[in-house]
Amino acid sequence: MNLYKAEIHRFARRRLSLIFGICGFAGLLLFSAVLAFNSQTGPTEAERAEAREMADNLNADYDRCAEDEEFFEDPEHVWVSEEPHFDDMTHEEICAELFPAQAQEEDFLYVYTFHFENEGTGIISGIAVLVGLLAMLLASSVVGAEWSSGGMANLLVWHPARMRVWGAKLAAGLTVCAAAVVAVVALAFVLLYLVAALRGETGTLDAAWWQDALGRLTRSLALAMGMTVLGSSLAMLGRHTAIAGGVIAGYLVVGDLLVRLAGFALNVKFPNRFSLYTWVDAWISGRVTLRDWSGRFEETMTLTATDAGLLLGGIVLVFTALATWSFARRDAS
Amino acid sequence: MAPVIEISGLRKTYRKLMRQPHHALDGLDLEVRPGEVHGFLGPNGSGKTTTLRALLGLIGTDGGSMRILGEEVPRRLPQVVGRVGAVVESPQFFKHFSGRLTLRILAESAGIPATRVDEVLEQVGLRDQARQTVKSYSLGMRQRLAVAQSLLKRPELLVLDEPANGLDPAGIHHMRALLQWLAHEQGVTVLVSSHLLSEVQQLCDSMTIVSRGRRIVDGKVADILAGHSGSQMSVRFADPAEVSEAVEVLMEAGDNLTVTAERDRLLVSGASDPAWITKTLADRSLYLTELVTETKNLESVFLELTGTAPQAGRAVQVGQSAPAADPEMTVPTGADR
Ligand SMILES: Nc1ncnc2c1ncn2[C@@H]1O[C@H](COP(=O)(O)OP(=O)(O)OP(=O)(O)O)[C@@H](O)[C@H]1O
Ligand SMILES: [Mg+2]
Repeated sequence: MNLYKAEIHRFARRRLSLIFGICGFAGLLLFSAVLAFNSQTGPTEAERAEAREMADNLNADYDRCAEDEEFFEDPEHVWVSEEPHFDDMTHEEICAELFPAQAQEEDFLYVYTFHFENEGTGIISGIAVLVGLLAMLLASSVVGAEWSSGGMANLLVWHPARMRVWGAKLAAGLTVCAAAVVAVVALAFVLLYLVAALRGETGTLDAAWWQDALGRLTRSLALAMGMTVLGSSLAMLGRHTAIAGGVIAGYLVVGDLLVRLAGFALNVKFPNRFSLYTWVDAWISGRVTLRDWSGRFEETMTLTATDAGLLLGGIVLVFTALATWSFARRDAS
Repeated sequence: MAPVIEISGLRKTYRKLMRQPHHALDGLDLEVRPGEVHGFLGPNGSGKTTTLRALLGLIGTDGGSMRILGEEVPRRLPQVVGRVGAVVESPQFFKHFSGRLTLRILAESAGIPATRVDEVLEQVGLRDQARQTVKSYSLGMRQRLAVAQSLLKRPELLVLDEPANGLDPAGIHHMRALLQWLAHEQGVTVLVSSHLLSEVQQLCDSMTIVSRGRRIVDGKVADILAGHSGSQMSVRFADPAEVSEAVEVLMEAGDNLTVTAERDRLLVSGASDPAWITKTLADRSLYLTELVTETKNLESVFLELTGTAPQAGRAVQVGQSAPAADPEMTVPTGADR
């Protein structure tokens, strides 16, 4: 217990925690501000009228064209009959291509309204995953810096029971991660709801919405915690922060792409199922459907949150087991 | 009384792919009695740090047994570690924390009250630098911080790997006084490693000398020095070419002799009578021009004990030393490097 408290203390006193904390907070505020700036509570009457007029004009043009068989003999439009592209088309089809038929008022309303009920959960769970990424870097830097500075050997002189040391480090990392995710999610919820209330639509948050939102956010939290454990484990295996960070960034940026490209090159069905991002998406949104047209018919493949949980959990488990084994067996120093 | 540290037959072999295995510890024995300051002496690479690392469970071993305070280690190490303070090979600390924070986190992790931190900082003379980051510490200040963390627990046994490393004369003096006070007034058993016999002579009550991962001698410092210091004889010849011939002659003629050739003279120790040397050499038509009896200094005792005496005109390589009892091994083979 003392060891766990000391580890929490060690996290709290790192400069990186402070930097990440400030950056995360500032980023969240900035994001909310930009969202608030872009979002508007529906168009004004004047805007609606203008949009309706533009749609009406376009529809009138179409009608004129469709009703007038000699429309294209007009010198203004004579180029159409010389264009081979239009050769096989009926008169009406050509008109539809030149003047989009059935233009509507909405087509001319360029107003974005932030809709909390529809968009809120997606954004907040994305933010939670980003916090998880920071927690992963922080956790791996705590373990990695301790190895590369040589502090680990000294810590082990104090606490020779290595599994207790490892357990305390993981527990402290998880605590910090969970606290950060919960705090940021709560703050993001409040900020986004405010933005929606002031400059957008809140929608109705009924029981079904809450159930879906809580499910997604809980799964995002679990993902963030899994990432933290993975970060600590990689740093423990590599005994250096840079190794852990490099492996993670390298895989997410290059490795994932290479694996997907290999899937395409080998003509494997559903190459996207080799992408980690697909599985993360499946885990958070609950279900992802992949489509494949390489055969004669369209085929689909559905990944559920359970599938994704098993795969992602398995990856975390394998690396944790390797790190634990290496820490228990290898000479320290 | 039962020994505080008991190591017997300890082995550690470093294996590397495509290389000969390297026996860092080759059946090492060590015994430390309660309440004494024990010196652990040996040349570079003789396995002192390796022994302490193994004793503290930092590295695995390939044989032998170890006990601390009567408990078998590393199996029971977690149970006794609270009574042991240790510094292994100038430990590094996280650079961006202050000295004080470093100690506070360690103290917190073992449930030691934070007030103790300031006490030990005062004890090692770091009171005024406590709030600086470790990054800004000098070598000696880091060494003091390391000793401070080993004192935090009020240990019954203190294990220090070259504590004087990097300390200024005042620091060394202070450290010596501190360790002797701990041992003789507070009943703490202290084990210090060093490669300076003079330091061990001033600080320790008893000592163990190791070379190439094996114990060569152990006992009271005063007894060992009395047995080995005594005197040595320096012999010169008119023609320096006769020196090497004289070495062979003397080695053949006398048991228990240590004969070292220097550039233009011979150093003989273990011979009781100068007349015997004169006669032995004269019998083989070697006539000496000068024979002086010198009192050996500590350095030559150490060189003799560890077998690291330099050969004329050649640099001593690390690991080239040989146990005095095993003269064949003086020949550097290079096979183990
Ligand atoms: N991690 C390692 N891998 C391979 N060999 C090692 C390792 N650590 C130590 N050794 C070898 O073990 C031997 C003993 O080293 P050790 O550090 O114990 O010497 P020491 O007596 O403490 O020397 P010094 O007085 O220089 O501190 C040396 O020959 C060294 O090369
Ligand atoms: Mg050493």
